[in-house]
Amino acid sequence: MEFFLNRYRNLSVLVAAILAQLVLLAYQVKTNGDVRLIRVWAVGAVTPLARVIETGRSGVSHFFSDYFVLLDVREENKRMKTELDRVKMDNQYLRAELSTADRAQSLAIFQKHSPSKTVAAHIIGNTTGAGAKVVFIDRGSSSGIEPGMAVITPDGIAGKVTKVFFAAAQVMLVTDGTFAAGVISQNNRVHGTFKGLDYEGTGRIEHVQNEQKIDPGEWFFTSGDDRIFPKGLPVGEVTTVHQGKTEKEIYVSLSGFKNGLEEVLIIVEGVHASIPDAPVTNQAVHLLAPPPPDPGAPVVQPLQTGPIATDADRIKEQYRKLGEQQKHMYGERGNGAPNYNAPLKTEVKPEPKP
Amino acid sequence: MPPIDPENQSKHSPPSRLFRDDTRFALGRIAVFQYLAVVIFVFLIGGFWVLQIRDGDFNKELAERNRIKTVPLLAPRGKILDRDGRVIVDNHSAFALTLSRETLKPEHIAAIAEGLQNIKAEEIRALVARAESRRVAKYVPLVIKQDLTPAELAFVESHADPDTFPEMELIDKQSRLYPHGGLAAHVIGYVGEVSEVELNSAEFAKYSQGEIVGKEGLERQYNDLLTGVNGQRRVVVDSMGREHGRPIENKDFTPGNNLQLTLDLDLQSVAELAMEGRRGAVVALDPRNGEVLAMVSHPAFDPNLFTGRIRAADWNELINNPESPLMNRAIQAQFAPGSTFKTIVTIAGLETGLLEPSTTVNCPGGATFYGHYFKCDEVHGTVDLHRAIVHSCDTFFFTVGNRIGIDHIAEYAELAGIGKKTGIDLPNEKDGLMPSQRWKLHVKREKWYAGETISVAIGQGAVTVTPIQLASAVGGLVSGGVWYKPHLVKNAHIDPPRRADLHPENVATIVSGMCGVVNEGGTGASAAIPGLEICGKTGTAQRISNDLAKSNKALGLAMRDNGWFVGFAPRENPEIIIVALWEGSGKGALSAPIVRDVIKAYFDKKARLARPGPAQLSLFAEPSR
Repeated sequence: MEFFLNRYRNLSVLVAAILAQLVLLAYQVKTNGDVRLIRVWAVGAVTPLARVIETGRSGVSHFFSDYFVLLDVREENKRMKTELDRVKMDNQYLRAELSTADRAQSLAIFQKHSPSKTVAAHIIGNTTGAGAKVVFIDRGSSSGIEPGMAVITPDGIAGKVTKVFFAAAQVMLVTDGTFAAGVISQNNRVHGTFKGLDYEGTGRIEHVQNEQKIDPGEWFFTSGDDRIFPKGLPVGEVTTVHQGKTEKEIYVSLSGFKNGLEEVLIIVEGVHASIPDAPVTNQAVHLLAPPPPDPGAPVVQPLQTGPIATDADRIKEQYRKLGEQQKHMYGERGNGAPNYNAPLKTEVKPEPKP
Repeated sequence: MPPIDPENQSKHSPPSRLFRDDTRFALGRIAVFQYLAVVIFVFLIGGFWVLQIRDGDFNKELAERNRIKTVPLLAPRGKILDRDGRVIVDNHSAFALTLSRETLKPEHIAAIAEGLQNIKAEEIRALVARAESRRVAKYVPLVIKQDLTPAELAFVESHADPDTFPEMELIDKQSRLYPHGGLAAHVIGYVGEVSEVELNSAEFAKYSQGEIVGKEGLERQYNDLLTGVNGQRRVVVDSMGREHGRPIENKDFTPGNNLQLTLDLDLQSVAELAMEGRRGAVVALDPRNGEVLAMVSHPAFDPNLFTGRIRAADWNELINNPESPLMNRAIQAQFAPGSTFKTIVTIAGLETGLLEPSTTVNCPGGATFYGHYFKCDEVHGTVDLHRAIVHSCDTFFFTVGNRIGIDHIAEYAELAGIGKKTGIDLPNEKDGLMPSQRWKLHVKREKWYAGETISVAIGQGAVTVTPIQLASAVGGLVSGGVWYKPHLVKNAHIDPPRRADLHPENVATIVSGMCGVVNEGGTGASAAIPGLEICGKTGTAQRISNDLAKSNKALGLAMRDNGWFVGFAPRENPEIIIVALWEGSGKGALSAPIVRDVIKAYFDKKARLARPGPAQLSLFAEPSR
């Protein structure tokens, strides 16, 4: 046996590796679970390498910049050109540094002022798939990241965590075709669902009835209904809105990507209008508590995916109000028929106390 | 080769023998491997045979289903609009959540329940367990919740990706949205899933199981028009159900046609409000063309209950309700018309020459005919035809009815459409009944007794009408003998009207009497509106005899007289005729204010539309389309 293994060492190792893979695959398929052993190893192995490469790339880039800056000149007429080149490159370099510093600073300010508890992360890579818009970030379970957590930038929502590894996590971006989030319009308080569109910077709002009012330029914010994003985060601005066959067709330009996507925040503890009473535990996916009722919003009926009433209901209700105003009991003898052309007084609501 | 020592030769095995032994050893092993290989191949070939030949078609179908997903695109039904284009019946997206048991992970159930409202994880687990105990195929999705709220919809859509809860799937149902509170419920009807019995009928033969069809009212009458054509989208999916690339086929749906009615929501709303808390019906017609302007039947039901699958408790409540809320009283309630029938008796008498406007009868509070005393409501003294109509003197009509005879009365009643369906475009209209000598002999095999005519002359006895029938009959009569078929769909083909060669002076006599009912202190004075000449006739119809009501007071109270009022305006060339039936009201005069309110709504709207400037259909709601 020893002889055999020694003689066919390479073959034995190969067979052993293949068998191990088959056993693991069989186990994974059999259990139908989220084992992802091979994936965990692969990502675990690749992530540190990606970080090293990223660090090396920036180091080399800095080295060459410095090299050119420190390069001595030999001729006077070339000195000025070199000096100009150096200033140009300096300028470019400093702009990049400033941009990075700006982003870092805005991220820090946003993080400080946001009521939600967040963790900052860098994008360290992306994956390519059939229509998938997925990136990896350099934070994982070691930083408290869980699947289902919201990923945002100071400008808006960016995506959600779909898979978590020890030191990295996979994020599905809002531009992914399967991404969805609950949203509410800023002016008219219309609820809908945001869906990714597979092309950069644009998304679609669904489930808004043709009868509901949405204006171009109006903003959509997260509604908190999806239990991923806390209520009140910007999603995007309406660029196009028109009547559809069964519901309004609304397109928004996403706000979360407008300054690029290099650093993001992961919401590890989201806050709507009030802090959740108790954390949700023992769940396969991180879920926020439902948002508190909005005192300014109309009462939502069970049929709210469509208009809650047709014209028939509204007209009947107005005639009822008119009868009440004229103290007329329909169908009763007494003070004659009402004047249907009399103006209907509108109820004046008292100003809310500050 | 080294030399062989002959002495030691025996110590060495002969080379040929040694070689033979090794070969035998190897041959044995090879044979074992060969047999093993054969067994393995036989096993594999057997497996292939099972997979590819025995179960080939089934596996092919499974593979295709796994690769190509067909997503049905359900066509919405057409909307139902009022005569001004305002929406009466709309559609709304109603999403249902299903779980795919093929990809369901038990540890996900708690989190899924957490994201939904009013459903617990235990309930979902129980549903799954029930499906498994009944051996429901795994690929059959399990409906977890109907009519998701926007919050639930957002939760499901944002978590239904392959990495989170791939077992969740949404079904877009496109439900009907009916007016709440049963407004025009009987006219509109409702939709539901086509039943086995219906599929076997010619009316629904072209539909398939699970399809939604109109079950009652206009939804049923115009089902083919309102039903759209479904589309479908076929997409390539991976084993996780994720879509890849563009759809292979994208056949868009064709929505159903909108149906514009003759109903006027302003009039309908007022009529509904006037009938609130009352049992009965209101029908408003335009006698110039037969358009139905309003149709109310109370008590009503909420058609929204039927948009999904009606709950057994709701259904039982509806069918066991003694007030029969599912019955469209406007076309199905068959009651004695009471004194409103006097208009028909009058035209029969005038046209046959057996009655003249100058005919007088003394009313001492009743009269005896054929040995039986027939009582009048009051002592009217000597009355002519006009006063008899204005004050609804029964003694006058007992007398003239006896003179005219049942067959003349029946002839003109049938001419006006009494005792037969009007042909309105609604299912299950009832006939009513106009008795005659021939009818009694034919149906009851009995002779007609002259005493029976006395009761029929005041709209009692065997004569019964439906509210739509009475509205059509009187509307055509006061329009000079022109009866259009009542209809509910605007711009539909209108059949030529039935015409009767009535003498205009006779019609004018009836109209004059009816205007006196309202404007000369008659029985319908409560229908009067200053500035408008409304004409009408009250009718109080007994449901049980006076003797029975006296002997059984409880029954007498429960079976109080029905109150009718038929009114129209203006006096010349009437534009609207309205019938109000209030069951058990005790007096016809109590129905007059119902008609008054609806007629006022009609003329106020007309005045509003005639104002200079942009036309204002309604004070309140413009079309939302």
